[in-house]
Amino acid sequence: MEQKKYWKGLEELHNTAAHQEAVKNEFREDLPFEESDSFLGATTPRRDFLKYLGFTTAAATIAASCDIPVKKAIPYVNKPQDITPGVPNYYASAYTVDGEYVPLVVKTREGRPIKVEGNEMSTVTEGSNTARVQASVLGLYDVARLRYPGINNGPDKESLEERVKEIALFSELDKQVTAAITGKPVVLLTATIISPTTKKLIGEFLAKYPGSRHITYDAVSYSGMLLANEQSYGKRALPSYHFENAKVVVSLGADFLGTWLNPSEYSRQYGKNRKIDAKKPEMSKHFHFESMMSLTGANADERYTHRPSETGAVALGLLAALGGGVTAPALVDARLKEGIAKAAKAIQANPGKVLVVSGSNDVNVQIIVNAINNLAGANGTTIDWAVTSNYRQGIDAEMEQLVKDMNAGSVGALLVHGVNPAYDYYDAKKFVDGIKKVGVTVSFNDRYDETTQYCKYIIPDHHFLESWGDAEGRTGYYAFIQPTIAPLFKTRAFQASLLSWSGNTTAWEDYLKNEWVAKLGSQEAWDKALQDGVIEPAAGAPLTGAAFTADAGSAATAISAPKTGGMELVLYEKVAIGNGKEANNPWLQEMPDPITRATWDNYACVSNTVAKTFKTELGDNYEINAERRVLKITAKGYSVELPLMIVPGIHPDVIAIAVGYGRGKKQFIGKAAGEIGANAYPFASFNGQTFSYFATDAKAEATGRKYPVGLTQTHNSYEGRPIIKETTLDAFIKNPKEVNHDREHLAHYGEDFRNDATLYTGGTKFEYPGIKWGMSIDLNSCFGCGACVVACTAENNVSVVGKEQVVLAHEMHWLRIDRYFAGDENNPEVVFQPMLCQHCDNAPCENVCPVAATNHSSEGLNQMAYNRCIGTRYCANNCPYKVRRFNWRDWNGADSFEGNLHDTADMNDAITRMVLNPDVVVRSRGTMEKCSFCVQRLQDAKLAAKKAGRPMKDGEARTACQQACATDAIVFGNINDKDSRIAKVRNEEQTDRLYYVLEETHTLPSINYLAKIRNKDAAPVAAGAHKEEKAHH
Amino acid sequence: MHLKYESTLREPLIDGVKDYHQVTEDIISPIEAKPGKLWYIGLFISIALLLFGVFSVTWEVYFGTGVWNLNKTIGWGWDITNFVWWVGIGHAGTLISAILLLFRQGWRTGVNRAAEAMTIFAVMCAGQFPIWHMGRVWMAFFVMPYPNTRGPLWVNFNSPLLWDVFAISTYFTVSLLFWYSGLLPDFATVRDRAKTKLRKYLYGVASFGWTGSTKHWQRHEALSLVLAGLSTPLVLSVHTIVSFDFATSVIPGWHTTIFPPYFVAGAIFSGFAMVQTLLIITRKVLKLEEYITIGHVEAMNKVIVLTGSIVGVAYLTELFMAWYSGVQYEFDTFYKFRAAGPLGWSYWIMMTCNVISPQVFWFRKMRRNIMVTFIMSIIVNIGMWFERFVIICTSLYRDYLPSSWSYYRPSWPEVGFYLGTFGLFFTCYFLFAKYFPVIAVAEIKSILKTSGENFKEKMVKYEDEDVEKFAHDQTHH
Repeated sequence: MEQKKYWKGLEELHNTAAHQEAVKNEFREDLPFEESDSFLGATTPRRDFLKYLGFTTAAATIAASCDIPVKKAIPYVNKPQDITPGVPNYYASAYTVDGEYVPLVVKTREGRPIKVEGNEMSTVTEGSNTARVQASVLGLYDVARLRYPGINNGPDKESLEERVKEIALFSELDKQVTAAITGKPVVLLTATIISPTTKKLIGEFLAKYPGSRHITYDAVSYSGMLLANEQSYGKRALPSYHFENAKVVVSLGADFLGTWLNPSEYSRQYGKNRKIDAKKPEMSKHFHFESMMSLTGANADERYTHRPSETGAVALGLLAALGGGVTAPALVDARLKEGIAKAAKAIQANPGKVLVVSGSNDVNVQIIVNAINNLAGANGTTIDWAVTSNYRQGIDAEMEQLVKDMNAGSVGALLVHGVNPAYDYYDAKKFVDGIKKVGVTVSFNDRYDETTQYCKYIIPDHHFLESWGDAEGRTGYYAFIQPTIAPLFKTRAFQASLLSWSGNTTAWEDYLKNEWVAKLGSQEAWDKALQDGVIEPAAGAPLTGAAFTADAGSAATAISAPKTGGMELVLYEKVAIGNGKEANNPWLQEMPDPITRATWDNYACVSNTVAKTFKTELGDNYEINAERRVLKITAKGYSVELPLMIVPGIHPDVIAIAVGYGRGKKQFIGKAAGEIGANAYPFASFNGQTFSYFATDAKAEATGRKYPVGLTQTHNSYEGRPIIKETTLDAFIKNPKEVNHDREHLAHYGEDFRNDATLYTGGTKFEYPGIKWGMSIDLNSCFGCGACVVACTAENNVSVVGKEQVVLAHEMHWLRIDRYFAGDENNPEVVFQPMLCQHCDNAPCENVCPVAATNHSSEGLNQMAYNRCIGTRYCANNCPYKVRRFNWRDWNGADSFEGNLHDTADMNDAITRMVLNPDVVVRSRGTMEKCSFCVQRLQDAKLAAKKAGRPMKDGEARTACQQACATDAIVFGNINDKDSRIAKVRNEEQTDRLYYVLEETHTLPSINYLAKIRNKDAAPVAAGAHKEEKAHH
Repeated sequence: MHLKYESTLREPLIDGVKDYHQVTEDIISPIEAKPGKLWYIGLFISIALLLFGVFSVTWEVYFGTGVWNLNKTIGWGWDITNFVWWVGIGHAGTLISAILLLFRQGWRTGVNRAAEAMTIFAVMCAGQFPIWHMGRVWMAFFVMPYPNTRGPLWVNFNSPLLWDVFAISTYFTVSLLFWYSGLLPDFATVRDRAKTKLRKYLYGVASFGWTGSTKHWQRHEALSLVLAGLSTPLVLSVHTIVSFDFATSVIPGWHTTIFPPYFVAGAIFSGFAMVQTLLIITRKVLKLEEYITIGHVEAMNKVIVLTGSIVGVAYLTELFMAWYSGVQYEFDTFYKFRAAGPLGWSYWIMMTCNVISPQVFWFRKMRRNIMVTFIMSIIVNIGMWFERFVIICTSLYRDYLPSSWSYYRPSWPEVGFYLGTFGLFFTCYFLFAKYFPVIAVAEIKSILKTSGENFKEKMVKYEDEDVEKFAHDQTHH
């Protein structure tokens, strides 16, 4: 049927030209758009109003969003061959400060060293390192370092520039110095040097100046051990210790996890026997006898305290109990006696699997310790005399003699390298008097320190990251040091000076190279050595003992009887600050002490009992007020005024003070170390053979003053909350599941707590199809040393806030180590718990942010978009773990306000800022930040795998904390990868010990913890016991 | 037996024999007169406080939130305490103007204007805290869901803080409209009486051309009812949403389903106390005792004792639940760190001021005692400030992980900020008391017809009449 056609008008019917035109034209009438002649004269009709409104609002918004000034980076004009912007280069090096031996790999970006990691090719340290090693990279950029060589104008002048007159040419200095020292016997005073080539060079140098000698002076000396070993084994050396072979470790005050000799090496070894799982429930047993609470003591299974003057008695007691044929002086403390008996029993039960170490610097005590080790069969099993260690070489009597000679005016020239006796020698005044009588004095120290200010010629040495060098930590185990950056300042290698002054024109790097090319046979071998960073003897050499030849009986009689009355004082090294040489390091100063959780200060550690006599005791008042009563501590005629710090576990008759503080003026020593705390070295003394680091008859008096101390943790007890889980080894062997018995309560929510414990039907399944990052932290092999804290700081540009801000609890650490005490306040159990963002799948922080600045990635990361954050702090309030950190002030100049920078430690100097990791943005004031699981490293690993066209392998993505951990207590990886370490730990190896902190809040953390197992007889701190414990928080 | 026009139990809403003119005279003439010395002193002090507040906030914005003594554990302190406190104070105004209007409570007319003004000023003060507590306040506009070039990136609709943004801004807008629409006829009265050109002009502009025509009145009444209808849910919703800031979190002491009703009751409690504080002074200074009578004061005291008791029940319920839930963290928070512990004193101030002391209002004599009422109104507001402080700080300072436990004392910029909002509030209130009719003239006149003494006098003759006769007259008139 034909379709009818309707028409609308005659135009359509006739299809006129006008109609066709009209159909084509959509807008048949002119729209009332007004064309204006000029922009400013334009009218705004009703139709355009909204348009203009929208445009101006949008324009204003965009303009308002762009308030951060743009700083331009300047590209290379000629790109160096090996440097690609954005791609790091790694160089092998080694940390050898004061004789420690830690082979390293240094990460450089665009020519700047920004991070150090342990060199895993070394079998000595196996990649482990310490907080101080991690922080050493910041030491390179220390603005207090001397920037040019010169001649000292003396201490009357005000500024450093006036005091040190620059000498433009090294050759000029060489001329002056050689003229001055020619024909004179020279004394070269250094800290322990473990560089074989430097030692050879020193020999050549000394030979040029007849009558010269080299004296090694260790601020914290181990000469008692060296001399004892000489008497016991005929070798003035230290053996290699093998804690990994010891089933029973007895430490008589040796803080081998924190500060003793080479803690990187020992914590790695010791950690191997602290790993435990239900299939192989074995671990070492660690007895610890000490006067104060050390990091190592805190990790002991059985810990006993004694007066410092009882150190010898304890050692003798142990030897006597082992049948060593000596009579031990009677000890009063029943618990201590019982401890000695227990330790002796354990030693006897494990012949050949015992290691006894002592922190004493007394020759006789060390001979007794050697006798114990000999009886226990440690020689050749846990102690290796075939391979000796070179970590400390100083002999105290030589230093004593030198100071005498200096005062007698018989020292012609004194060359000082890496030591600072005017600060850390116990009788600094005598040293200073002596140095003034020395004809020629030269300092190679890196800053205008207490000793350098008395030296005429100042020729600062390079930082080790700018240097060439080698190191022989254990005999035959070498590490190499190569520059990772051109010298920042006009400094010169110490060895170059010696070369020049001994008339050798070879450059130091050539001297070193020639030496090694000769030893290794070829340039290629040398290149490879530099690339690997280490050369080691072939593996498999058996451990060898040595014949014990000392007379333990005469050593026993020489040990002085313990004191009974009065207070005693003991000096110790803080884990972060050590002997004080590297004290001007803001990262280390702000790292909380593992035990006291205090930053930036030293203090008088006393027990709660002693504190009570000064109207201070543990409790709310002590917790909420940072102000501490200042005590005047007097011993040996010297006194210091220091704030009181209550340390549970310190012997009630002991005051402990850390060395390394009380340095000189900030302008010379540096802002971080200068004029902080009090110097405790003068409490040390010389006992005729060695320095001793304790004093009897100490006195503490109130001064009536108060002084704030910056603590990052004020509450000591975990209040029996199930955030820490622990048990004893016996209980764990009996029933591995028992430690997690409270997790059974979660069962009634359904089979899968993570999924089923919800009000929503169908559960809360969080899908992570690709990667799901997870971390496991083993509380048993975490010793709380803090290396991870500093590693995190370095990796993530975590700001330093300074002491006043720590007092206000404004510190920025993304990763902290919580330390809890439990049990008796004089003999507490200690547990360390690293706490960082748990990257919860059901994160309480995420849903409360009004602007979605914190959100969840598809790989299970809880992310922060700093640019989006407006700083309401709601997320931090709602974080049950309190791991979020707010930028309370402008720590790093990243906000748009001029002149509000809060920097107390030179962290924003143009030089210091070179340490910043360019992969991590610095955060503006007013934003929240927190652990990112080192997302930049994860991205890097993923991209590397992607470029190589293969899946990412387990272990390629490592967080900074994981990498820094000496004991691999932190395992990290992709839990979707069933073959990954983390998946194995979670699903196979550690199902019994595994728990999540605050699991019952259903935050679904990505970090799990493994319960702590104590190898001790006493029952674990059970629920009922917490009532008692609360009295001591 | 005689008839009664009004129950003998019912108190007069306006004392004294007033006619329309006199009402206008009484209320409008202070606007036309030169203010007294006290007013100048008060305004001066208020502005000084305001400027100190501005200085404190500037200090904080420049140097960073770190100048406040908040820390890694305690992210909110005086700032959010003050925010919730001021928002709560605002509630009485809305309750009086909206809910009492809907319930046809005649007594509200005497106090509603000032109470609404108080609401507006209190919300203005409250709003300062969430704004300036932000670390990057210059990015505050991120909380607005506007189309943007960042994706577009939207706000997080899950966040109670975002709900706050909407709740508070809606509340402020509606309250302002309500208040201002009520002011129109009164501004017109001032305009009509104005003897100076400037006053005539300004009040003319402010009154939006009000002529008092029947049409105007009809629209005005309708608008009032609509806004009252809008405001009524707001009375409940605003503080409910504020309470969500805490209730939706996971922190023991915050994570509580009881919060919404508890917060609303507390808000009305504190709001009425603040109204009492202000009106007792205002009626005295402006000699308005005949309009804001003891009867008004007593009515509001009844609300105070009621809401105070609700709040008390809420406190006890929290304690019960903390024990009954069996959650160790919650138990510890309430029994160890709230009712005891270093901040325990704040809990007991709260308990004393909010629960124990308002019980005096069970006694009529006390309810009708101006001095007691005034002191109580101050005590209640101290108590309610501490309630917010207790909720925020005693929950945060010792939560799950004991390693992070901390303590909190305010620093001077925090105190300065709080004082500054008092400055803002009283500056506004003094200006209001001088330039605005503090009592709704038009509304008073409307009740004069039924409750005024003049009108009641006209009824006296009927009350004397015989009932039979009255009935007869009324039916066969």
